[in-house]
Amino acid sequence: MTVVGPGVTSVAKAKPDNSQARAGWGLVAPALTLMALILLVPIIVAGVLSFTNYSLGNPGFDWVGVQNYERLFTRSTYQKMFVATFTYVITVVPISVGLGLGAALLVHSLGRIGDIYKTIYFLPVMATLLAMAIAWEFMLHPTIGMVNRTLELTCGTWFEALPFFANGCAEGFPLWLGDRDYAIWVVCFIGIWQGFGFNMVLFLAGLTSVHRELYHAAEMDGARSAWERFRLVTWPALGPTTVFVVTISCIRAFQVFDTIEAFWPQGGGPNKSAYVMMFAIFEKGIQQNLIGIGSAITMLFLLFVMFLTLIQRWLVERKVHY
Amino acid sequence: MTRDWWKHMVLILGAVIVLAPFYMMVSYSFKSPGEIDRGEGGFFGRQEMMIDPRCVALRQPDRADIEAARARFAGQDDASVQAHLLAETEADCSMRPVVFNYSKAFTEAPLIRYLLNGVIVTVSIFLIQIVVALPAAYALSKLKFWGRDAVFGLVLFCLLIPVHAIALPLYIGLAKLGLTNTYAALVVPWTISVFGIFLMRQFFMTVPDDLIDAARMDGMSELAIVWRVMLPTAIPALLAFAIFSVVAHWNDYFWPRIVVTGNRDLFTPPLGLREFKGDGDGSFFGPMMATATVIVTPLIVAFLLAQRRFIEGITLSGMK
Repeated sequence: MTVVGPGVTSVAKAKPDNSQARAGWGLVAPALTLMALILLVPIIVAGVLSFTNYSLGNPGFDWVGVQNYERLFTRSTYQKMFVATFTYVITVVPISVGLGLGAALLVHSLGRIGDIYKTIYFLPVMATLLAMAIAWEFMLHPTIGMVNRTLELTCGTWFEALPFFANGCAEGFPLWLGDRDYAIWVVCFIGIWQGFGFNMVLFLAGLTSVHRELYHAAEMDGARSAWERFRLVTWPALGPTTVFVVTISCIRAFQVFDTIEAFWPQGGGPNKSAYVMMFAIFEKGIQQNLIGIGSAITMLFLLFVMFLTLIQRWLVERKVHY
Repeated sequence: MTRDWWKHMVLILGAVIVLAPFYMMVSYSFKSPGEIDRGEGGFFGRQEMMIDPRCVALRQPDRADIEAARARFAGQDDASVQAHLLAETEADCSMRPVVFNYSKAFTEAPLIRYLLNGVIVTVSIFLIQIVVALPAAYALSKLKFWGRDAVFGLVLFCLLIPVHAIALPLYIGLAKLGLTNTYAALVVPWTISVFGIFLMRQFFMTVPDDLIDAARMDGMSELAIVWRVMLPTAIPALLAFAIFSVVAHWNDYFWPRIVVTGNRDLFTPPLGLREFKGDGDGSFFGPMMATATVIVTPLIVAFLLAQRRFIEGITLSGMK
């Protein structure tokens, strides 16, 4: 095949556009088909079904207009869903981004010794979240769990001056997962525990691209303290990374599911205090076969996520000059 | 060094919290139920012989056993024969806690099968993703054709869609096709990785055109160029993508939970673990933690062996 006559080349040259176009479309066709079938059509389907009362297995369905959406905004269950979802997102995103940044700065400043911490903090990102959720469930077990056992060690020490410990020692420490005042916070804690190592690594990647000369220049200009250097050099340089990390953390936070289902297979926590959107889609749309309402939640969910991503792209395009 | 001590203090505190559940998971997988209940035994437990109550209950000597064993214990009454037999059963059923936990993990449920399913599903997803994404990425980066920009615009738009979020319509589609509870249901929604297309395209943009022109001069078809020229040059990017893809789908719980209901033969490792949790009572913490350890270990070990690659691969997923 190595010997090609001049005639062949000239034929190929004569209609390069045509043959490239055919090859091009041929090569993207499978991907394009799958993209349409798996990503685009389902969104349209969900959009249409969100205006119906369709159930799998039923022959027909009725158009119910915006009734599903109306329910989402009026019923107390869905109010709890929004409260739980936004509590989770608003708690987990800033803390996991903040801890990620803090850890990255510390690890970065330690040089090669810092790598051991990087490895450790990244472990939860790799571990199957369901398995770790179950491990946490045992950690938080009211009687045999490590957390309450450790807390009990504080009884009889000066810790008892604090109301939380005094109360715990007198009446027992919280049930954590069974208590509606604590449940969502425990889920948030695990979300942060699992995700901040990922953010740390992204920030570390951002930090390695900050030029050393910038620090020298800042020092020349009188930025002597570490804080000044951070404020004047590091933070602006990390701008694009931060926008990116915040967006992904938001999208991931919106999708929280594994921990909720592992802890409370029946219904999203004590008094629905941890009834997040992803669990709602699962419970309503799939377990209870209420596809109309499940589709409405799906549409809302997509709206949030797309909105976030578009904001991110806009910010990055506006603020970042590569 | 000395002025860094506070950094180490903070980071070590963080490390203790991060490692605590891992420590507990592995430690419980070694211990006997009693030690777990009382919180004794340090990390490995004391590893004293323990008796498996279920095993004894299953092999409780009945009348027939006593009749059969009468010859061996000549001249003794039934009660003492029974006591002897019970002692033998208990001896048969006793083992070290670590052996108990891990053997239960593998025998109580078909854990090997679940692990195999995990491998089948993650590997098929990755291979199909590559077969679909690589040609598309090549066409979008190196071929000039009418509509190319529109296709790439569509790719960028699809990057906005998290597949988990459209689980419900996908589930309806698969149910209509009668595909739920099949391997296909586990694999199909992930066959298209828009992110993979995007990543490969960015990578191919850096490949010099001369290389492709030379291949065309050699008479290679466009498809042959994709597999014989572009694929070998893209190995580093593919490896990063492979890590991302495998980690995501090995650990995925949401999608298998939806499309596999009841059919144990199709359970992926996280589903198997969940089932264990469903029917385990308090005394089953040990075997359950052993199962959890077994499904978490492959990726963690791979990660520890090739950290840089793994971190690169997972970090790329950030773009998704």
